[in-house]
Formats: sequence, C-alpha cells, structure tokens
Amino acid sequence: MFPLLTLATFLPLVGAASVMGLAGRGGSRAHGISIATTGLVFLVTLAIWARGTAPGGFSQIEEITWIPSIGAAYRLGVDGLSLPLILLTSLLFFLSAIYSARVDDRPATYVVLMLMLETASLGTFAALDALLFYVFFEVSLVSMYFMIAGWGHEDRQRAALMFFLYTLLGSLPLLLAILGLFLGSGTFDMRVWVDAPQLSGLAAMLALIAMLFTFAVKIPSFPVHTWLPAAHVQAPTVGSVILAGVMLKFGTYGLIRFAFQMTPAAFSQAALVILVFGVFSALYGAFAALAQSDLKKMVAYTSVNHMGYVVMGVAVAGLTVDPQLRAVALDGATLQMISHGLVTGALFFLVGMLQDRAHTRAMDDFGGLLGRVPWLGWAFILSAFASLGLPGLAHFPAEFQVFLATLNIQPWAVLAVLAIVITAGLYLRAIAAVFLGAPNDKWAAMPDLDRRELWVILPLLALIVAVGVAPGMLLGMIHATMAAL
Amino acid sequence: MGMARDLSFLLPEMTLGITAFIMLVAEMLRRPRLALLIGLAGLALATALTFPVLNAGTTVFGGTYRIDMLSGWAKLILLPGTALALLLARAEIAGRDREGSVYALIALVTLGALMLSGSGDVMLMVLGVVLTGLGSFALVAWPRDDAATEAAMKYLVFGSVTGAVMIYGLSFWYGGTGSTLYSALSGIGDQPLIAMAGLIAVIVGLGYKAALFPFHFWAPDAYEGAPVSIAAYLSVITKLAALFAFAQAFRDLPTSTGWPLVIALIAAATMSYGYLAALVQTRMVRLIAYSSIAQSGYFLLGLLAIGGGTLALPSLIVFGAAYVAMNLGAFAVIMVAGRELEDFRGFGRAAPITGVAMVIFLLSLTGIPPLFGFVGKVYLFGAAISAGYLWLAIIAILNSVLALAVYLRIIVAMYQPRPDAAAAPGQAGPLIAAVLGITVLITLVMGLFAGLLPG
Repeated sequence: MFPLLTLATFLPLVGAASVMGLAGRGGSRAHGISIATTGLVFLVTLAIWARGTAPGGFSQIEEITWIPSIGAAYRLGVDGLSLPLILLTSLLFFLSAIYSARVDDRPATYVVLMLMLETASLGTFAALDALLFYVFFEVSLVSMYFMIAGWGHEDRQRAALMFFLYTLLGSLPLLLAILGLFLGSGTFDMRVWVDAPQLSGLAAMLALIAMLFTFAVKIPSFPVHTWLPAAHVQAPTVGSVILAGVMLKFGTYGLIRFAFQMTPAAFSQAALVILVFGVFSALYGAFAALAQSDLKKMVAYTSVNHMGYVVMGVAVAGLTVDPQLRAVALDGATLQMISHGLVTGALFFLVGMLQDRAHTRAMDDFGGLLGRVPWLGWAFILSAFASLGLPGLAHFPAEFQVFLATLNIQPWAVLAVLAIVITAGLYLRAIAAVFLGAPNDKWAAMPDLDRRELWVILPLLALIVAVGVAPGMLLGMIHATMAAL
Repeated sequence: MGMARDLSFLLPEMTLGITAFIMLVAEMLRRPRLALLIGLAGLALATALTFPVLNAGTTVFGGTYRIDMLSGWAKLILLPGTALALLLARAEIAGRDREGSVYALIALVTLGALMLSGSGDVMLMVLGVVLTGLGSFALVAWPRDDAATEAAMKYLVFGSVTGAVMIYGLSFWYGGTGSTLYSALSGIGDQPLIAMAGLIAVIVGLGYKAALFPFHFWAPDAYEGAPVSIAAYLSVITKLAALFAFAQAFRDLPTSTGWPLVIALIAAATMSYGYLAALVQTRMVRLIAYSSIAQSGYFLLGLLAIGGGTLALPSLIVFGAAYVAMNLGAFAVIMVAGRELEDFRGFGRAAPITGVAMVIFLLSLTGIPPLFGFVGKVYLFGAAISAGYLWLAIIAILNSVLALAVYLRIIVAMYQPRPDAAAAPGQAGPLIAAVLGITVLITLVMGLFAGLLPG
C-alpha cells in the first residue's frame, strides 16, 4: 500500500525545502508553493480518510526501524481518534496558507516555519511510536516560537519566550512518563502500550501525573493555562488559528491516547480530580472571557472553556464501567475537538481580518459594523452562535454528548452548563458592541471581505453547519474506535 | 608473542603518538602547514585503525588498558573531534608564531585523552591526567599575553592541587586492594573508608578535568584566556576523556560504596549551577563555558547508571558524540560572530546561514528533538530512571528549561535589529565553514540515524 501518511506528513517539508531553494524570488512564489503544498496535503488526507479506519485498532500502519536497540521505530498509523484530527489539521493549514498570502514581511521564512509546523502537527497525530510522537510534539514548539517571535504583535518577544519556556517545562514530564513506559516494556511502540497496561501501581500513577501535567499545559486547563492569553494575543492571526485549532488538540489527543489508554487503572482512580479540573476550566474560561474587552483575548479564553468540556468528557469516561456511556462521553469529547478547531479557527480568522482593517481589537472601538461589512459580520455571528453551542451548529452535538454522559455518571458536574449561559452572554455582548448599535464613522470606509478572505472563511462556515446538522459523517468513524476502548 | 598481540590492539594510539612526534619535527622545521596536514592524516589513519578493534572487548598489558566498547567509541568520537578542532585552530592562528606547536600539543593531549578513556588501572589514569593536563596548560598559555598567562596559571595551580589530592587518595585504593588495577576494586566494598578515600580522590582529579561543580572554577577563565579554538577543544575533548575515565573507574567499584548517590548530588549541583551562572553572563565564551559545565552534569546521569542498567554506556557514547558536534559548532560560530553577547545582536539577520546553524546547535544543546542532543538526553534520562534516580531526572528536566532560557538569550539577540554602529560580521572562512557544515550535519542527521550508534 502506498504510504499516504508519510506522504502527507513530509510533503510540507518538501514544500519548505523548495521555498528555501527559491529564496529571494519574492513573496508570491513562496506563498504559491505554500498554498499548493498545503492543498495537496489536504487532498492526501482526504485519500487517507477514503481508505478508512479499522474498528478497535490502528490501520494504515507504516513502519521503518529507527533505533532498534531501544525499540524505537518510525511508526505511523490512524484510528478514529487521530484521523479526524489529521483532517482538521490539513484543512486549517490549507486555509491558513491562503490567508497568509498577504504576509510580505520575510515571506519565505514565514512559509518555511508554517510548513514545518504542519509536518510537526500531522506527525504528532499520526505517530504510533512514543519517541517519534515526542519529537513531533516538540518540533511544533520551535516553529511556533519563531512564528510568534518573528511575526507577532507589539509585545511578541516576551510572549514568545514565555510560550516556549512554559510549554517546554510542560512537555518534559511527558518524556519522563514515556521513558517510564519504555523501561516497563522495552519498546516505544504505542500500540503495545495501548493494548496492555505496561505499568501498575505507583509507577503508573507517577506516569499519569507526569502526562496530565504535560497535557494540562497544552490543553490548557486551569491552573496552567496562563501562557495561552499572552501567546494568542501576540501571535499573528495564523499563529492563533494553528495554536487554538491544532496545537491545543495535542493536549486532549494525548489525554485520551496516553493518559486514558496507557494507564487506564490510574486514570480511573484520578478521574474525579480530572473531572473537577475540567469543570473548573470550563467555568473559569467562560468567566475570564466575559471579563475581556479585547476580542482576541476573549476568543482565546473561550478555548479554555471549550477544552474544559473535552477534559470533562474524557474524565467521566474514566469514571464509568458502562461501555455505552463511556463511548458517548468519548465520542462527544473527540467531536468537540473537531468542532472547536473549526469554530475557533473561524473566529480567530475573523478577528484577524477585523484587525487587519482596523488595527485594533478592542470591542468598544467598533459599533454598527454589520451594515458596513455584512459578510464579515454575519460570518462572525454564525461562528459566535456555533461557539456558544447553538443546536444545528458544530459544538452542539459534541457538547450534548459530553453533558449527557456527565449527567448519567456524575450529575453534579453538569454545573458546567452554567458556562454555556455565560458564553452566550459574552458573545451576544460582543456582537452587540462590534456589529450592532450606532455605526462609528471612523470605519465608514472599511471594506468587506475580499475573495481571498471568503475562500478562507466560507469552507469553515460550511463545515460548522455540516458537522452541526450531520455529525454522523465523523461520528461513525469516531464511535467505531471509541466503542472499542 | 604476548607483546605483539598487545601492541596490535594499540595501533590507533601508536599511530597518534608517532603522528604527534612527526608534527613536532615539522614544527622544528618551521613548517606549520605540514604539521597540520600530518596531524589530520594521522588522525584519519588512527580513526580507521580503530574499526578492527572496536568490538574486541579485551584488555592489554595485564588488564591495565582496556580495548572495549567505551574506549573504542571514545576513539571514534575524540579523534575526528580533534581533527575538527585542528581546523578551527588553523582558522584562528594561521601565520602566527609557533603555530605548529599548537597542533602538536593538541595531538599529544588527545593521546592522553585516549589513555584516560581506556584506562583500566589507576596508574594509567594518572598518566592520562598528567599528559592531558601538561598539554592543556601550554595550549592555554600559548598566546603569551596577560589574559592567557593568567588563565594558564589558574589552570595549572588548580590542576596541580587537584592532581596531588588525587594521587594521595588513590594510594588508599592501592593500600586496600594491593593492586592498582580497577578490576581489583570489586572486593573493596567491605572497606568503606578506604573506598571513600579513593572515590573522593577520583572525583577531585577527574572532576576537575571534566569541570564538575565544585571543581569548575578554572574553566570559564581558562576558556576566555585561551584562543577560542583552544577553548572549543578543551571544552569537548579533555572533558569527554575525563568522563570516560570516570566510567572506566566506576565500572568495577561496588555500588554499595555509595558512589552513585555522590555522583547524583554532584550532577544536580553541576547542572543547576552551570545554567544559573550562564544565565547572567554577557560574554559568549564565558556563557558557553558555563553551559559546558552544566552539560557535564548531564553526562553524570549516564555515569551513575554504570552500576546497573544497560543504557549507561550507550548514553555516555551517544551524548558524547552529540556534545562534541554541537559544542564545537557553537564555538565555531563564536569565532565568526565575536566573543561578546553584544556581537550576536542581529547576527542572525546579517549572516542567515551561520545564524541558522547556531540556532540548531543551541536547540540541540537544550535537547530539542529531533536533534542529536535530544537523542543523547533520552538515553541519559532513561539510564538515570532505570538506575532508580527519578528525582535526578526531574532536576535534569527542570534544568533543561533553564537551559532553554540561557540559549534563547542568544537566539533572541541574534534576530533583533543589528545596531547601526556595528560592523558587518566576519565571514566564515573555508575552514570554519567546513567545520560548521560537518557539525550541523551531525547535529541534524545523527538524531535520525541513532540506530548506528551502540545500544
């Protein structure tokens, strides 16, 4: 079988190499290569989707020896958890490449970093070897650091530094956990670790705590979320889209793949604590978002809220022995990752487009924009409604399943539903402040979305509706895997 | 017969010794370039001659010298590393007075380094310490200016004192076992005081050479006083040799003497002190000097696992190879950019390719995958955890974050706008460019081909 996963993972690097080879030929060439490469990668991931996954295991395995003496190998594969995330990743990078076409500050370097980041992101989701996973996981930090430091806003150096130090501190405990699992099993093959627990007792609990720390920073979950607002606010628009849409999913993906699957007994013991953190994150993120007047920061905090629901879903799945309920919780959590990628991706793009025009993100600077820029306005309103969980849009089927399982397993935790009310309030307030009310004459000449921007935003809006109306197109694949966990 | 057999295993060492001698003759004839070429050829030949004995797993001269995996890989790392250092030295001091003596001294010090990494006997270890020490003092003092003389004096005095302590302490081991062989140490467990006296001696003597806390004081001064290329050489070759000598000595020392805990404590102190001190440096050579001190601490994670666990020796070898490449590379960039942190401001924009090379070296020193330094650190952490030192692995990880802070200071400066007053940075000449190319390639690619290394 042709190694499509490897092709998808490393095609961006090939694109990056050709951009470097043609350096100095101007920005449009670099952006052209970037759009072509990411588009091609997206098509390849669609072909991977067409090949399908096998229920109850990994499929499309690609394997080459790497360091045989310690059982590390180049191993890729997909299942119903990783494939949707791979699709999301390739889509968001494709749209980001289109959006970036206007970047004229050192475009070649920018494109190279973005393509490196795509390889790292796809590799993180596709890796079936823990050492390889860690390699991709960390490479993403390096690319994102340079992206924020090089193309971010006013206070970018500090934000980039904090992002890199914080998340490196966050990810190193995972390396310890991986080494612990390796010493317990003699291999880095994640399939072996998933099939049977390699650690037990205290060792398993220590490994779990290390993993939870890593993934909590990445998700980010209260109280280790503090890097996120700084990084988001200073990052360039595409940086924010990738950070929120793709890189936060490393955390929740790891939570299921590593913590839940590899140390199941310890996870069950700790699940109640994890649930408390999830509920608190959901509420905290909503309240913190409510307090923001900066649109981008507000969207950033709603990520803390939405990712909190994912944590809740995984935690309640660890608390029940009923396989059906567990599958519902995990289905909801996984779908929530996809929904969040689509919706938050759209919101960050839209805030970025607004900022490109107005050079400000403060809500109070705007007003009555809906009449001036109807496309932008309605796109934002639709995305905001999706973000607050309106039925028929992407978040609803995901959050519904999470809450359904929670209600059955730990009814008190449905307290987090309060966060949805707050989210509704804050989005309505933002819509009112920016798009409704008296028009501000300052923006009388603001242009509406151009063709390039529509190409970016319309596919996301269509998918937000599609996932909301027909979540079955993803849930079938997700459920086949989750029901077997 | 026995003599001929023993000598046949020593062909790399003998080749290097003869090479050093011929280099001295070339220097006497005032032909420094010839001395350099002889040196490079001799190193290449010695490297090639290492392959037949790489997996011999034997000892020669009655067990005093070990031809084993560690000493074999030590040659494969130290000999090419020395060749790179020779190229750097040529780039820095070409045409200056007494140029060839530097090359000959470097070859001699490397001979001492090989003896250290193969020593199976305390006498041979002392001999290695003395040979590397004498050559190194002369190398540091070579420029004959005030800074170099002061640095060499500090180095010499420090070396003499620690050397004396070492020899005195080692006499206890001889008294306790009746033999100078390391292999006799396996029975020393029931004489804890004697074991401890010799242990302290080894730690003082070799710890000084490896620049472990608290025997590191000479290192930043010596590196700063010496030519940059000599600092680069000392920071990798003599340091690695000392760490390999540690490994040879501790292989036979029973863990019941408590040495792994002592090493673990020194490791924690060395890593933390090295990076904390590096964080406040404003001169690049000193910054990298302190960073090299911290890196020594990481090596100790592998060293303390020598008593148990299969990852110990591979971890020393893999991280050793990575360390030689990335540290030599970082020093090579300093030779191009300048000795002050301020010289690096905007350097990445002014010299993009050399700048990217520096970023790769620094990220590899931090341990960011998939670079070679990361693979080495995975081995080291694995070795420490398998030996039961999880707490030390956690300290090492916290220090990796500190390391990133240290190295990001350089990276951030490199991509700031260049001060208007600053002159354009120097260009990397062909020799430095060659060294940079080789070290970048190793740092980048060997992480992917780590399967070629022992394990």
